Amino acid sequence: MRASALITRGTAKGLAITYLSLIILIPLAALVTNAFDKGLGSFWAAVTQQESIDALRLTLLCAAIASVVNAVAGFATAWVLVRDRFPGQAILNAIIDLPFALPTVVAGVTFYTLYGPLSPFHVNITGTWIGITVAIMFVTLPFTVRSVQPVLESLNFSAEAAAATLGASPVRVFRTITLPALMPAILTGTGLAFARAIGEYGSVVFISNNLPYRSEVASSYIYSLTTSDQTNSAAAVAVALLIIALLLLIFFNVTAQRLARRRA
Amino acid sequence: MKRPRLALRVVVLAYVGALIGVPLVFLFQQALLHGFGPFWSALHDPTMDHAILLTAKVAVVAVPLNVIFGVGASLWIVRHPSKLTRILDTVIDVPLAISPIIVGLVLELVYAQSGWFGAALAKIGLQVMFSYPGIVMASIFVSLPLVSRQVIPLLREVGNHQEQTASTLGAGPVRIFFTITMRSITWATAYGVSLTLARVIGEYGAVLIVSGNIALVTQTLTLDIGSNFDNFNNYQGFVGALLLALASIVLLLILGIARHRERTRNEYLA
Repeated sequence: MRASALITRGTAKGLAITYLSLIILIPLAALVTNAFDKGLGSFWAAVTQQESIDALRLTLLCAAIASVVNAVAGFATAWVLVRDRFPGQAILNAIIDLPFALPTVVAGVTFYTLYGPLSPFHVNITGTWIGITVAIMFVTLPFTVRSVQPVLESLNFSAEAAAATLGASPVRVFRTITLPALMPAILTGTGLAFARAIGEYGSVVFISNNLPYRSEVASSYIYSLTTSDQTNSAAAVAVALLIIALLLLIFFNVTAQRLARRRA
Repeated sequence: MKRPRLALRVVVLAYVGALIGVPLVFLFQQALLHGFGPFWSALHDPTMDHAILLTAKVAVVAVPLNVIFGVGASLWIVRHPSKLTRILDTVIDVPLAISPIIVGLVLELVYAQSGWFGAALAKIGLQVMFSYPGIVMASIFVSLPLVSRQVIPLLREVGNHQEQTASTLGAGPVRIFFTITMRSITWATAYGVSLTLARVIGEYGAVLIVSGNIALVTQTLTLDIGSNFDNFNNYQGFVGALLLALASIVLLLILGIARHRERTRNEYLA
C-alpha cells in the first residue's frame, strides 16, 4: 500500500468520526450532562413530577397496546402474504410499507381529521388514549410484518407436513411447530415497534390534544419543557425515556435470541 | 381448511384497509375535494412554496452527505474491522431508537446560543439553531443509519475475493471501488438513498425544535402542514400533505424496484 493511500484512508476515517461526533456523540453527551447538571436529586425530581409520570405512563400504555395488537395483526398479515394466494396480494404487500415512507405529520393530520371533531364518521377520539393508540398502530404496523415475512418464507413445509401425516391437528401443528419457529422474529419486530412507539411525535401530537396529565405523551411533554426553557428537566425526562427504550430493546432481543438458541 | 384461510384473509384485509387504506383515500379526497382549480391555486401558496424549496435545499445537502458517510462507514466496518469499528457499528444505529423530539433537544443543547458551542459559533458568524444548518443537522441525525444498514449486510455477504483478485492484478483502491465494490452495492445503496430521502423530507419533530418553525424563513414542508392545521387552515394543509404522500408513494415504488433488482442479482450469484 502506498503512503498516499494510507493517508487518504486515515483522513476519511477521521472525517467519519468527526461527522459522527458533531451530530450524534457530542449532542448525546450534552443531553446526559444537562440531565444530571444539578445532581441526581434534581434529575429524579424532574422525572417523578406528576406531569412527567403521567406522560410516561400514558406513552408506555399506548405503546404496549399498539405493539401487542400489531404483533398479532402483523403476524397474521405476514401469514396471508406468504401462505395465501389471491388477486391484489401485491398491492397489500406494497401498502404495508406506506407507514414507513409516509411522513408522520401527514399521518397525524389525516387521523386528526378522520377521527377528530370534523370526522366524516362522527367518531371523535381526540384527546383519548384510543386516538393515540390508533396513530401508533398505524406507524408501527410494518415492523412485525417485515420481520416475520422473510422467516416464514424460508420456513419449509416438511416438518409441518410430517406432523400432519402423523395425525396432528392443524391447531397443534401451528402451536408446536410453526409458531415456535416464528417467535424470535415476532419478538424482534415487536421490540422495534415498541421502541419506535414510545418516541413517536408527529403522528400522535394532533390527535392527542396534548392535555397535561391526561393526553400528553412523553415526547410532547419533553417538547413543552424545551419550549418553556426548562432544558434541564427536558433532558432528564429524555434520558429516562431513552433508558426505557434501551431496556425494552435489550429485553426483546435477549428473549428472541434465547428462544432461537433453544430451538437450535 | 378452506374456510379459516378465507376468514384470515378477510380479517387482514379489513385491518390493513381500515388502518392504512381508509386514511390514504381520505387524504386524497380532502386535498381534491374542491376540484382542480382551488388545488392549483393552493399549490401556489407563497408560504408553502417557500417551505417546499427549503425542504429541497435541506435534502440536497443532507442526503448526499449521509450516502457518502453511510457507504464509507460500511466499507470501514466490514473490510477493516477493529475494536473501534465495533463501537462505530453500534453508534450508527443509535438514531433509530431516539425520539425525534429528543434529537431536536440534544442539538439545541450543543448549538443553541446557551449551548456548548453556540456562543463560540456565533462569534465566527455561524448560526446553527433556528436556521438552515440546524435543519440539515437534524435531518442528518434522524436518517444516518439508513444507508449503512442496507449496505453492511450485503458487503458481508459478497465477501472480498474479487477485490483481492483485482488488487493482486495491480488495480488501485479507487479503481477497485468503482469497478467492483460499487457494482455489488448499487441497488442496496439505491434502497438506502430512497429511505434516507423519505426520512429527510418527512422529518417533523426534530426539525420543529431546531428550526423554530418561522414561516417563510425556517419552515419546511412538514412544518408548514402542521401550522396550517394549527391555524384551522385544513385545506391548505391537506394539499401539502398530498404532495408529501405522493412523494413517499413514488419513493416506495423505487424501493420496490430496488428490492426486486437486488433479489434477482442475488439469485444470479447463487
